[in-house]
Amino acid sequence: MNDQRPTLPVTTIALLVVVFLQIPVIVVVLASFSETSYLTIPPQGLTLKWFEAVLTDSAYLGAIRNSLVLAIGATTISMVLGVAASYALFRKMLPGSEALTSLLMSPLIIPSVVIGVALLQYFTLVGLRGGFVVLLLAHVVITVPYIVRSALASLSGIDLSVEEAARCLGADGFTAFRLVTLPLIKPGLVAGALFSFVTSMENVPVTIFLAGPRQTTLPILIFTSVEMGVDPSVAAVSTLLIIATVLVLFFAERWTGFHRFV
Amino acid sequence: MRSWRTGVLLFSPLLLVLAGAFIVPLILLAPTSFREYQPGMGIVAGSFTLQNYVRIVADDYYREVVLRTLGLGVGVTVACLLLGYPVAYLIVRGRPGWRLPLTLLVIFPLMLNLVVRSFGWIVLLTNRGVVNNLLIDVGLIEAPLKLMFNVTGVTIGLTHIYLPFMVLMLVAALQNVPRDLEAAAATLGSSRFHVFRAVTLPLTAPGIIAGSILVFVLTISALVTPRMLGGPTYQVMATLIYDEYMQLLDWPSGSALSFALALATLLIIWISSRMTKRWAGLA
Repeated sequence: MNDQRPTLPVTTIALLVVVFLQIPVIVVVLASFSETSYLTIPPQGLTLKWFEAVLTDSAYLGAIRNSLVLAIGATTISMVLGVAASYALFRKMLPGSEALTSLLMSPLIIPSVVIGVALLQYFTLVGLRGGFVVLLLAHVVITVPYIVRSALASLSGIDLSVEEAARCLGADGFTAFRLVTLPLIKPGLVAGALFSFVTSMENVPVTIFLAGPRQTTLPILIFTSVEMGVDPSVAAVSTLLIIATVLVLFFAERWTGFHRFV
Repeated sequence: MRSWRTGVLLFSPLLLVLAGAFIVPLILLAPTSFREYQPGMGIVAGSFTLQNYVRIVADDYYREVVLRTLGLGVGVTVACLLLGYPVAYLIVRGRPGWRLPLTLLVIFPLMLNLVVRSFGWIVLLTNRGVVNNLLIDVGLIEAPLKLMFNVTGVTIGLTHIYLPFMVLMLVAALQNVPRDLEAAAATLGSSRFHVFRAVTLPLTAPGIIAGSILVFVLTISALVTPRMLGGPTYQVMATLIYDEYMQLLDWPSGSALSFALALATLLIIWISSRMTKRWAGLA
């Protein structure tokens, strides 16, 4: 057994690669506390002024709010529609379940930028471009595959006879689903919702074609401001996102054993 | 029959959203790609031309962008494979206590906002960035190296961003390799390297292929990282589509390029799934 353990060189390379994965994160955090507008190693001075700049800037605050509203809204809608559709597929209520499943997953296969331009053209044509509802629908399209994937995976792991038992005891279909099936698939759904939320929060290639001036999301704001040059307030807002990601990952891991679902 | 009605009721809301905000828009992209575009005039109504598609292979600039995109796809895939395999191996075969922390350290960058990760690389690679400053301070170089707005920066950034996908795919593949098989080969006198080459590597081939396809497809359709690290001059297909729609307003060219990109990814996924099925049939 023991001689299948990774050798020292393999272990060293692997650990270096894991460090490589964290480097940009470390650098961004250091840059956000640094006095100088360009990061030096070691950083010179320690300041919170960039955070103050972000948290008093109405453009950043607006973008953070837009991102959160959009991500929560899209995830909620995707969750309701996605779980309903997955349940119908799982119980084989419709013919051609396999084809329908591929259809629901297809937004993952088409390059995001292509979805972006297709929606841009279509919603310009019908005169709805720039509306919040359009953005919300687009985000439902790109997030729903994650919900469907986790819902189908979770459903396939449960024993159908439990739900049948509830039905026999007089529960109607929805009650049986709500009280029996739903709690059983909850951990998977939480993981799926998290993926959906993160996907919506970080989307640029679809959002950038559809968002009106007042709907700028946080990643779009960072993306466009970087084109103007490196600004430490971008590092500060990035650090806030890094902290949020660490917290979310920590709690997701504690509640659902998140790494099993990735 | 009741269950059929319930099924339609449960499925149709999502189907309507997908039809209205995904399928129909994609289909409507097709006619645009055959329209003629005149600078300053816009799309010529009622025109029909194949020029937008011909240009992708015939025009030098377009061909360069397409080849660059595919080249980046290959380069990033190979880099992810070479860097990802040791990590996956350490996660699966290393100390059990390391497993969870290592897995979380791989997932963490994946969950972190893509724009933030690319921004981190800008801070590192820009002319007066961390890497150049460090190299100048140490005295290795005199003038800053050009690490951004070229193949170096975009390859590093994309490799960093898609590496976690590769690692997770390889972890799944390595978990399915029975240790007894490796132990048996070792007992029969194989060296460690030979065990790896003759047993472990072939048995993880499906994972290697799945991971490579995923990384390749993601790389050739990437927009954010190539634009942030490649700038407006180092174009790939996705950034060119973006510019044609947002800056040049040449929608016909943009839509033709979009179809070419979508077709390329669909084709690669289709071929790979057929290959995997055939393999599964043989095994």
